[in-house]
Amino acid sequence: MIEVNNIQKKYGKKQILNGLSFTAKKGEITCLIGVNGVGKTTIMKAIMALTPIDSGEILIDGQKIRHDSFEKITFIPDTTTMLPTMKICDAFEFMADFYKSWNSQRAEDLLRFFKLESTNRIGNLSKGSLAKVNMILGLALDVEYVLMDEPFSGIDIFSREQIAEVFTSHLIEGRGVILTTHEISDVEHLIDRAVLIDDGKVIKQFSVEDIRENEGKSVVDVMREVYR
Amino acid sequence: MSVKFNNRDPVYVQVIRHFKEQIAKGYFEPGQEIPSRRELANQLKINPNTAQRAYKEMEEQGLIFTEGNMPSCITKDELVLKSVREELMMEAVDLFLVSIKSINVPLAEVLDLVQKKYDADNGEVEELT
Amino acid sequence: MKSYLKLVNFEINRFFKLYLIIMALTVVSQIMGTIIVSKGNMNYINQVIYENQLSVSQYIEENRPFSFQRVVYSEWFTMPIFFCMALLMIYVFFIWYREWFGKNTFIYRLLMLPAERITIYFSKLTAIMLFVLGLITLQIILVPIETFIFNRIVPAEFRTSYPLIDFYSVEIWRWLYPNTIIEFILMYGIGLIVVAIIFTAILLERSYGLKGIFSAVAYSVLSFGILVAPVILSSIYTSYFYPSEILLMELVTSIIVLGSAFWIANQLLKYKIRV
Repeated sequence: MIEVNNIQKKYGKKQILNGLSFTAKKGEITCLIGVNGVGKTTIMKAIMALTPIDSGEILIDGQKIRHDSFEKITFIPDTTTMLPTMKICDAFEFMADFYKSWNSQRAEDLLRFFKLESTNRIGNLSKGSLAKVNMILGLALDVEYVLMDEPFSGIDIFSREQIAEVFTSHLIEGRGVILTTHEISDVEHLIDRAVLIDDGKVIKQFSVEDIRENEGKSVVDVMREVYR
Repeated sequence: MSVKFNNRDPVYVQVIRHFKEQIAKGYFEPGQEIPSRRELANQLKINPNTAQRAYKEMEEQGLIFTEGNMPSCITKDELVLKSVREELMMEAVDLFLVSIKSINVPLAEVLDLVQKKYDADNGEVEELT
Repeated sequence: MKSYLKLVNFEINRFFKLYLIIMALTVVSQIMGTIIVSKGNMNYINQVIYENQLSVSQYIEENRPFSFQRVVYSEWFTMPIFFCMALLMIYVFFIWYREWFGKNTFIYRLLMLPAERITIYFSKLTAIMLFVLGLITLQIILVPIETFIFNRIVPAEFRTSYPLIDFYSVEIWRWLYPNTIIEFILMYGIGLIVVAIIFTAILLERSYGLKGIFSAVAYSVLSFGILVAPVILSSIYTSYFYPSEILLMELVTSIIVLGSAFWIANQLLKYKIRV
């Protein structure tokens, strides 16, 4: 379980995170929801120690993050994490070199699924293809937690459908996934939990199916209520 | 198999409903093998947890059964199958009654119309075949 | 340890193409320079002899013979050295900033590697030191070759010898090519410390932005101050310390400065760095 406890973060004069807390369990897909700029990406970076927080704590399975945590948790950001001069196969080699949890077979399978060539250079890829490569770099690791930042942003609909398929497959099963998106419609039927963020705080976190069952509301309905 | 899900009813409930419809229509035969949870999740484009929950519910309701490590199958129990058909029929009837009550028409007149329309539609179908 | 070596290998590979080019440039420039300077001088001498109808010994009486030093002091020789130095100095900064800028956000990947983050720092530091060492080695190999070429072009009467030790004792070269092992360790130790300080300063900027630049400058000045304190002290209190004591104090301050550079960098990379 990933626990985010009461984190605060100021950026310049702006208080971005103001006592924000939520949890994300293994085996569930948790979606962080909020308007652009509310701090969803910052939260993910903070979990991965890619940006500092002013106070509060973040625990992964009860522990603070350490260097070997990166064999347990990975982050798929909105940007490439490899050199533009690298070919896809070079990137895979790099990952295999440094990560024990890298699954080369799965990487190859995903490459085929996404219909990409291992000789393509990262710098020459379209935005959609880049997003897919990013996804492979994250999902081909046998990690317990996967964080994805806007996996659908700026991507054509067919690439989006391909990426959405990943969520319904064995690739996600059993793992704890946190994702952010502002295309709620793409993921409503895929996610387990929703965490609504506004003004630096979590205003509501709930199980999506429970809300449907008990209140007959969709995530978008709840959002309309909560974000006046 | 593809289902259009709405976002207001629990997805697992909609999955179970879909199964019941398929059974009532006869598309699912008694004892027929159904896809695994994973395959279902993939086909319907839903969260594997949801597929899992749907199967659990259907197992509890007796709609499906799983023998050991074999794939799950539709029940062969005639009683259960009959009650599924009845359940769906009752739903349709309830829906129908609610709509005609709002128009405030005597039942005999409506039933007559229903019979006529039903025959007409069937006739068309026969002409086509 | 494995991650460290892999990263060092990775860093070396990234720069290697450019590195080979500047090495090649140095070789070409210095060898061509040797030939051009030698031949140039000989042509001039031959012309003088011809015009004034001198004999060789007459010429040599009037004009001193020259040595390989002429080549060493020519631009052909010195320019590539300064060029390589400048490039490496730039790379000391570029090796970090390239991870954030351009189409590149490789810093994400580096910070998410399952290794202590200070490994990134050490691997870049090692790479730079290896590049410097490589260039030094290249120069050491080139000098005898160039001397040989020089000796082949300039007849023995017109030249005097320029022993390598003289070459390496010339003031500016003394910094780059020290004579004794101790001098070597000293010079490269200082070089290492300077690069380490710059690296930590860069990390301060990357962690704190504008505030970081101020603290980076302050930190650098402070570190440098501590580093040279014993030397300054000894020049004020001129006869107070033995040279060996000064050396020992320098050693201590060096360790302090280097250790604090590492420690600060470690803290920054673990807790304060931002992508």
